[in-house]
Amino acid sequence: MEVKHLTEHYDKDGYATIKGYQKLGGYENLKKALKMKPLDIINEVKASGLRGRGGAGFPTGVKWGFLPNNGEPRYLLCNADEGEPGTYKDRLMMERAPHQLIEGMIISAFAIGSPKSYIYIRGEYFYPKSIVEKALREAYDNGLLGKNILGSGFNHDMDIYSGAGAYICGEETGMISSLEGKKGQPKLKPPFPAIQGYLGKPTIVNNVETLAAVTLVIRDGAAAFRKQGTEKSPGTKLFSLSGNVVKPGNYEVPLGYKLIDLINIEGGGLKPGRKLKAVIPGGSSAKILNKEESEKATLDYECLAQMDTMLGSGAVIVIDDTNCMVDLLGVLMHFYHHESCGQCTPCREGTGWLEKLVNGIKSGQGKLQDIDLIETVARNMCGRTICALSDAAAFPAMSFVLKFRDEFEFFVREGRSKIKGTSYAKMHH
Amino acid sequence: MFEKVAQKLKEPLMPKCTINGKEIEVKDGTTIMEAFYQKEVPIAHYCYHPGLSIAGVCRLCMVEIEGMPRTQIACNTKITEGMKISNVSDKAKDSVKWALDFHLINHPLDCPICDQAGECGLQEQYMHFGKYEPEMGQGKVKKRKVVDLGERVVLDTERCILCSRCVRFTDEVSKTNELGIFNRGDRSEVGTFQDKPLNNNYSVNTVDICPVGALTAKDFRFKQRVWLLKNRESICTGCSTGCNVNVYFNKGGVYRLKPKYNSDVNGHWMCDKGRDTYKHLNVEARLTKGKKTEEGKTTECDAGELAKQTAQLIEKIKKEGGGDSIGLIVTAQYSNEEYAAMFELFKIKLGSNNVFYWINNQKTFEAFDGLLYRGDKNPNTKGLLRALSKCKFDQTWDKLEEKIKAKQLKIVVVLGPENQEVYPDISEKLKLLNSVDNVVWLTTNQVLGTELLKSCWQIPVKSTIEKSGTYINFKGLEQKIKPVTNIVSGALTLTEAAALFAGDEIPFDSKTPVKGERVWNEFFHHRGDL
Amino acid sequence: MSLVKKDAAIDRWFLPGIIAGLFFTIKKMLANIFNRKSMPTLNYPEEKFEYSPRFKGTHILTVKKDGSLRCTACMLCATACPAECINIVAAEHDDPVVEKYPVKYEIDILRCVFCGMCEEACPVDAVRLGPEWQIPGVNGSNFIYDIRFLAYRPALKGGIPSTVEDEERHQAGI
Repeated sequence: MEVKHLTEHYDKDGYATIKGYQKLGGYENLKKALKMKPLDIINEVKASGLRGRGGAGFPTGVKWGFLPNNGEPRYLLCNADEGEPGTYKDRLMMERAPHQLIEGMIISAFAIGSPKSYIYIRGEYFYPKSIVEKALREAYDNGLLGKNILGSGFNHDMDIYSGAGAYICGEETGMISSLEGKKGQPKLKPPFPAIQGYLGKPTIVNNVETLAAVTLVIRDGAAAFRKQGTEKSPGTKLFSLSGNVVKPGNYEVPLGYKLIDLINIEGGGLKPGRKLKAVIPGGSSAKILNKEESEKATLDYECLAQMDTMLGSGAVIVIDDTNCMVDLLGVLMHFYHHESCGQCTPCREGTGWLEKLVNGIKSGQGKLQDIDLIETVARNMCGRTICALSDAAAFPAMSFVLKFRDEFEFFVREGRSKIKGTSYAKMHH
Repeated sequence: MFEKVAQKLKEPLMPKCTINGKEIEVKDGTTIMEAFYQKEVPIAHYCYHPGLSIAGVCRLCMVEIEGMPRTQIACNTKITEGMKISNVSDKAKDSVKWALDFHLINHPLDCPICDQAGECGLQEQYMHFGKYEPEMGQGKVKKRKVVDLGERVVLDTERCILCSRCVRFTDEVSKTNELGIFNRGDRSEVGTFQDKPLNNNYSVNTVDICPVGALTAKDFRFKQRVWLLKNRESICTGCSTGCNVNVYFNKGGVYRLKPKYNSDVNGHWMCDKGRDTYKHLNVEARLTKGKKTEEGKTTECDAGELAKQTAQLIEKIKKEGGGDSIGLIVTAQYSNEEYAAMFELFKIKLGSNNVFYWINNQKTFEAFDGLLYRGDKNPNTKGLLRALSKCKFDQTWDKLEEKIKAKQLKIVVVLGPENQEVYPDISEKLKLLNSVDNVVWLTTNQVLGTELLKSCWQIPVKSTIEKSGTYINFKGLEQKIKPVTNIVSGALTLTEAAALFAGDEIPFDSKTPVKGERVWNEFFHHRGDL
Repeated sequence: MSLVKKDAAIDRWFLPGIIAGLFFTIKKMLANIFNRKSMPTLNYPEEKFEYSPRFKGTHILTVKKDGSLRCTACMLCATACPAECINIVAAEHDDPVVEKYPVKYEIDILRCVFCGMCEEACPVDAVRLGPEWQIPGVNGSNFIYDIRFLAYRPALKGGIPSTVEDEERHQAGI
């Protein structure tokens, strides 16, 4: 069952305009928040246990608490890059309810005391960007941004900045570099962005959905927010369902919902005559689950972490038995090879090597050692780089080879895919 | 009691840590890499350089820290109290081995033709941490080779390991921003922008700091293998900064100069103009025998022989006209000891006051390009001025012209410049000395135009790298140098020349030097400064 | 008892030794007269000794398919040579694929000890020790072999091709 907290009014006409938004209770949370003290808002968010919805799942209130008290101006950056393959929930929010995002950002900015915030949107999202720009102008015109917001004495400016097609700019320090006008390459951590971020000043980077969820926390209070979801993963989340399901789309369900229910009930199940083979639960960077694991999994941070994968951005990709796993891995490795920024050596060379290995198997020229080599290379890329793209490339490689080794071995031995009917089922010479 | 606490708080924090089992105390804020440097413990690294900012991109300086599950990079991790660090444990060695493996999978098989062989970072770390069976059976990424970056530097993008040292150098040190990294992923390449080649006065420093053979100097390219060269320290004589250099040489001569770290004088760098100063020191460019040019006819003899003849001539002229008919022209290119010997000869033995200082570019003496290169192109101006004032030689150049016009000087000894390029007025001075009966010119390289003089005797002298001495730089810092090698063994130092002019008997060499034909293997373990 | 052996009577006489030696010589001489074929001596120059394929004779510099020198002037042979008889001067080639080549490659054959270290050190099979050993030099002849002699002397018939070719390597992407 969907629990539409965030997406309650998304299908109503005009919700994207300020009039439609305010008619349905919009900006009331902002008025309520401006009357509270900023520290109280941070405590409320901490108490609600809201975790980052972008992928890492870091508790938002704790992240806000890292900011130093040294009088420097703080910046709030909204990560609307949404580069994770399979994820398209932020796009929905920005197209249907940009004002929800703007309201959440103003509340967050008020809480952390930030005078300026930016929405970093990916370059491919021309249409959502135009909608958000229009919404920003409406907000300015109605006194919700700029000087003395709603007479509270709080000044805030918000701007939208477009990326240009790099997955790496979804990484927080990569985004900060890109905003500063430099090449979008991640920076070394320490120093962390909360201490030294955009232009060397303390910066908070949050996902679109997280900032929009702040409005819910303010509206209902921390205790009511915690009613949904599990104890360690409270609240509801949007999941972008895609793959071989009958009804792909964005669904808002409480955390802790069973994965198989999401696929069968909300997603309408698999196409007739097909069987479930695997599910990627959190965007392509999460390790894959095979059939047995996906039937047991629940969609929350702890359960999936225990199963050695992650909730990530909530992009659930369903794979049935008409797909060849070697082919899928090739697609993913090509993506990571293309998107690596090239700064540090393990990722730069390792992603290329992984793609070449998988392509070698796909072309029928693979050797049995190559399969072990994929696992070795991927294992040695993990944890040794500046940012997590290397891990994101290595996790699918390791999990595919571990859980679907039979398909890889078949491909090496026979020179063609195990799955009949795919284009790789033919013999290669 | 409160005083004690207050005092404790004022003391700077000095955290203690343990590196490979040995304890070390460091200043607060030191990174692990700096501690390794301080203790002189070897650690593998490519992108870290003490003169540049921290990049942390090579991921080779992995160390194991007790209490942390993963290995960390040493260049960006600050030391806290009681840290136990190891880079020789199995975990650390495995991390380094894999980082090296990733560096090498796309590296071309260029060792036979690469200049960096013998001082290459990859070769060195492979011998320490590598020696594994390579598993990369796929094709390597192909990139551009032999790219002309500017006047002095050639780039090979395939060999580049993208450590970004050269890019950081042009951003932070020379501040000219010519280099950048283009494209992303494993298609990344270092390069210059279309309209701006790498042509600043410090471009060859990028060749020094490149740990592999991606950047090579056009001047040194393919001339010699580095294990066939020895290196010794000296100073650069290009200008008054006096940067400390390493001179790389073998029996065939001097092949290149590289900067040596000196925190007071030049830091880690030297300018390109200084790197050219070795060219006029090799035996092909040198004056190897004394040359007598009298009325258009030239005869040769040994340097020492010619000095003896000069002594006799001076003796004769002194008997006839006294000390006043002997003149000395000095340039600021010799060491303090040589000036002391020459001036003592002139003041005391010959009783002459006619010592004139040949200034080549007084107007631009104070020029400074912001980093190292100064307008005064002489290495020992301060030393010469000190020696002149000590002996109270204070005659100006006009006095010399007067005396020449008045035909008062019968013999003029010129301590000629070692670096003739920065003395564009040599021909002028030769014209001035036209009317003097005898000119004795002490020089390292042949002076052109001496046939126009009535009589010119050129005596070969030893260059800076062949003698020991003290040079004072623009700041007043005294730098002592030792001889590096012998190129023209028959040449004289000014001290020896002064002794011979005075009539003393000292032994001198009369061998005619030839350029070393066969290059012996010095088998010197050559480790480049990574 | 003294360990010094006193000469026996037969040793003090030279004649028994002479007769024993002569006896040996005549025995061999008769054996050789009647059994020519088992004589170990070769009648040079009609009969010549056949050396093994691994014989280390005069040096050969191999060439590439297009006839140019294979050597890349890496100077490993000069470094490995224990007699220090190889002298190389390198230069930049106009073709960036070739990049480095020797303008001067000299072997002082009087210093060479024919150890074969240079052949083992070379990474591209550029220098080999070939099968020729009959290259006498009279007094005053040139004992420093240069590229023309080492790679293109008439006996090599235009140049021996090297077994290591760069094109295949570049094409395979290694």
